[in-house]
This record gives sequence, structure tokens and C-alpha cells, in this order.
Amino acid sequence: MEERLYDLIFIVRPDTPEADTDKLIATLEHAATEKGGKLDKVEKWGRKRMAYRVHKLREGYYVYALVRSSHGEVVKELERRLKVADPVIKYLTVRVDEELKRKEKLQRHRERRAARRPRKPTPAAPSAPVAAVEPPAAAQA
Amino acid sequence: MADGTPAPAPQQHSHHSSGPGGPRPSGPGGAGRPGGPAKRGKRSFVRKKKVCRFCVDKVDHIDYKKADVLASFIQERGKILPRRMTGTCARHQRWLTVAIKRAQNIALLPFAAEL
Repeated sequence: MEERLYDLIFIVRPDTPEADTDKLIATLEHAATEKGGKLDKVEKWGRKRMAYRVHKLREGYYVYALVRSSHGEVVKELERRLKVADPVIKYLTVRVDEELKRKEKLQRHRERRAARRPRKPTPAAPSAPVAAVEPPAAAQA
Repeated sequence: MADGTPAPAPQQHSHHSSGPGGPRPSGPGGAGRPGGPAKRGKRSFVRKKKVCRFCVDKVDHIDYKKADVLASFIQERGKILPRRMTGTCARHQRWLTVAIKRAQNIALLPFAAEL
């Protein structure tokens, strides 16, 4: 099965010691590898003010991870662990590979069009459009 | 009859010409995004054309993690601003709403502002 990418964000209580957070991340990493997945990158966003109160807390410690997996078991296991873990107050998993694919496709499309564009306006109106076309090309480069 | 019909026409005309005087000078600036034209008269004004901010910046992907970008597309109370306010194109608005809703789920954006 093809590989899938997921964004995994979870929020731990702000009063959790840093060491506990690190330990939690380590266990998640271990769980992911055990199920045949991988945490591609882990970012600690740190204490942030949440947009609304969760469990009567106004702040939370955000942790972001990019999960790479080939089957749903990995996400299932990670979510189960997050649900069980006491310091975690919120988590969210979002599948992102399809959107990234779309993004890349659009980028390729854009580049191809940008490469093609200078040719077209030249026969129609020689001087003015050429000047108008050049700045975006320069901006992209 | 013949006298009656021409009479309203200049009136309308004067309305018409006074209308564009307001919105038109704001042409070059791109700042006045939400709530642009305050009054909407009976006649169509020459309104400043709003362009999709994402199209201008050539955005291929709206990231739900960038709450600061998304925050400019919600109202104070947390509602998502409609396209007619922001000028966002249909495609980008579609991406935008999904991104905002995801951000809401992880408390990056409010569902509704707290009082």
C-alpha cells in the first residue's frame, strides 16, 4: 500500500514537566516504529494560548509531529495512546499527503505555464506585454 | 408624458455620478478588504474590484497550522467571513474554510469568541 502522511498535533497540560513531554514523545515514536510507521519530524511549538478553554485551561503546550505510515494501524495506535495519556488534553490527526500532492501538481502546472508564457504575447503586441510579463518571471526566479 | 420621463433620468444620473466618487479613489490600495463598500444604493456603483488575496500571492495550499493567516478571514466573533466580504475566489475559499475548521479543532482558532 502506498505511503500516507499525517499531521499529528497534540496539546499537553502546560504544567507538565518538560521531561514528561519528552518521554511521551519517545513512547509515541517507539509505538509508531513498532507498527511500521515513522515520526518524520517532531516539533515542539511550546506553550501557546489556546483559542478557547480546554479542561478549564487557557494555555497548552503544543507538539507537532509528521507521521509517515503505510497503513491505518499506526495512526490508530498513536491516537489510542494519546487518548490514554493523562497530560494530553487535545489531539488532532490530519491526513496531508493528498493535499501535498495537489499542491505539488499545482506548482508544476504553474511553472510550466510560466515557462510557456513569454512566447505567446510577443507576436500579438511586441513591446508592452513583454515588459508586463517579465516582472512575475523575475519574482518567481 | 414626454416631460415626465426625462425628468427622473437626470436625477438618477446625479446619484450615479456621486456614487463612484467614494469608492473609486481606493483603486490601487489593497488594504481595504472587509466591509469595503459600506452603502449599497439602488444603482450599481463603480465598485473597487476585490481580488482573491491567495490568487495574488499564488498560493497553492492553505495551511491550517498558520493561524495568523487564517485569523484575518474570521470575524471578531469567530465566524468565517464570506467571499463577498473578502473577495476570495471560490477555490481558495473552499480550501480556506477547511483550514479554518481544522484550526478550530486544535484550538488555534476559536469556534466562537469568548466573552
